[in-house]
Amino acid sequence: MESGLEQKYNFDVVRWFTIMAVVYLVVGASVGVYIASELAWPFLNFDSPYISFGRLRPLHTNAVIFAFGGCTLMATAFYTVQRTCGVRLWSDKLAWFVFWGWNTVILLAVITLPLGLTEAKEYAELEWPVDILIAVVWLTFTFNFIMTIATRKSSHIYVSNWFFLGMMVMIVYLHVVNSLAIPVGLFKSYSLFAGVQDAMIQWWWGHNAVGFYLTAGFLGIMYYFVPKQAGRPIYSYRLSVIHFWALMFGYVWLGAHHLQYTALPDWTGSLGAAVSIAMIIPSWGGAVNGMMTLSGAWDRLRTDYVLRFLIMALAFYAMSTFEGPVMAIKTVNALSHYTDWTIGHVHSGALGWVAGISIGAIYHLMTRLYHTELFSERLVNFHFWTATIGTVVYITAMWVSGIMQGLMWRAYDEYGTLAYTFVESVDAMHPYYAMRAVGGAIFLVGAIVMLFNVLMTVRKSACAGSLAAARTVPAAA
Amino acid sequence: MNSLAEYFHTDWAAMTVSDWVGTILTVVIFVLMVLVYFQVFRPKNRDRLEARKYIPFEDDNEFNGDKDGGK
Repeated sequence: MESGLEQKYNFDVVRWFTIMAVVYLVVGASVGVYIASELAWPFLNFDSPYISFGRLRPLHTNAVIFAFGGCTLMATAFYTVQRTCGVRLWSDKLAWFVFWGWNTVILLAVITLPLGLTEAKEYAELEWPVDILIAVVWLTFTFNFIMTIATRKSSHIYVSNWFFLGMMVMIVYLHVVNSLAIPVGLFKSYSLFAGVQDAMIQWWWGHNAVGFYLTAGFLGIMYYFVPKQAGRPIYSYRLSVIHFWALMFGYVWLGAHHLQYTALPDWTGSLGAAVSIAMIIPSWGGAVNGMMTLSGAWDRLRTDYVLRFLIMALAFYAMSTFEGPVMAIKTVNALSHYTDWTIGHVHSGALGWVAGISIGAIYHLMTRLYHTELFSERLVNFHFWTATIGTVVYITAMWVSGIMQGLMWRAYDEYGTLAYTFVESVDAMHPYYAMRAVGGAIFLVGAIVMLFNVLMTVRKSACAGSLAAARTVPAAA
Repeated sequence: MNSLAEYFHTDWAAMTVSDWVGTILTVVIFVLMVLVYFQVFRPKNRDRLEARKYIPFEDDNEFNGDKDGGK
């Protein structure tokens, strides 16, 4: 037990964010499996608009990205900034405001999205009053983080904090600009932008939400938790500095690659594709940096199941940051755009990278926050295999489905007419949609097992009194 | 005029304020990034930068008991 930690740092808010992250992982994945099943077996709509695909899909994305991902980011950011700066959070009250505020946002999403209240902007569906609340809570999160860094004892700001800070600053900017709207009622507003400008702003936000929220933030997690779990410092600190600045400079250019072959000027798509290709270099530099941290200790992967999650996540990070730029190339995009290939790509990043690094970090955190070993290491191993197999089944189904879709849509006969109707392409997708639902269900089983393991670890800590004991040990410093 | 010159031809008179702000910001940030690369790869800075990789382990030493939080 690390005595004095509980007195020195605020781990209570970290514990709550951590537990809620696991709860939201199960909720978000459950909704995902349900809507995947709706696509395979449409009778599951039950003719109810509240549970139709169109309304539950944004609930799924909001639950996994902002509820699970957000709680994971807030737990890990608040934990690492304290431990790497050697000081308690600047304000406990603001940290709790962030916890309750963020969970209120999630509750409002659960209520409003099935009711069909939406701005209809992807990954930014919530209506304007909730957008304002998100901005206030996120700014509070950022302010508390910055002030904690400002009062640090260490002379240098460790690189994980740079990544977290980059994410926080950019998300404020992106969220506020993309959400600018004219309210016409409490539950309805219209975007301030129109036509192609609205599309450009939407995907400037959309891809940067991927770049700064789902990549930079989770790289902050990687740069702290991989070295800590491996018990070895990061392979190259200099490479991490390059990784950070290249990512910050490069990512903002990419959004237009989502709008190839649209009314957007052609050069913007070309620029987006060119910078996307260039981004392979820093992305792979970061992935190699994380993996090479295990240099000389690869045998740890045989016995350390938590480390397996972290390293497998880096493998998926490398894979999806190669696949994305390839899909941005206009020739490839002509085939892949609007198909399930995009869904496969997104989930190799979301399930493989984001969920993988989060799950590894959460298992690591559980032992530190509850001052006990995990309830079951074997269940972590079981979770690792269900998560990996579920992800691979999912993305393979979508790759095959997507490429087949693209080929069917553009096939034409000797008279120049389309070879297939759209309905024929939908019918051909059915086996792959069923396979996708099975892959998602396998992943969900692992998430439920994780929730059980996490709750039993909390119970184990309570029964053994390890957390209570840690709270009473006097601070050493 | 060859094709390369045509490709890079810019109508400077048509540049708006937004165009200038965007261009200047981009060039300044690019130059700053090149300076960062120079500093990071300068052999003189190697030991100073690499020493920072141990920061996550520093506060382990501050507390009693094992360093792995009960592991």
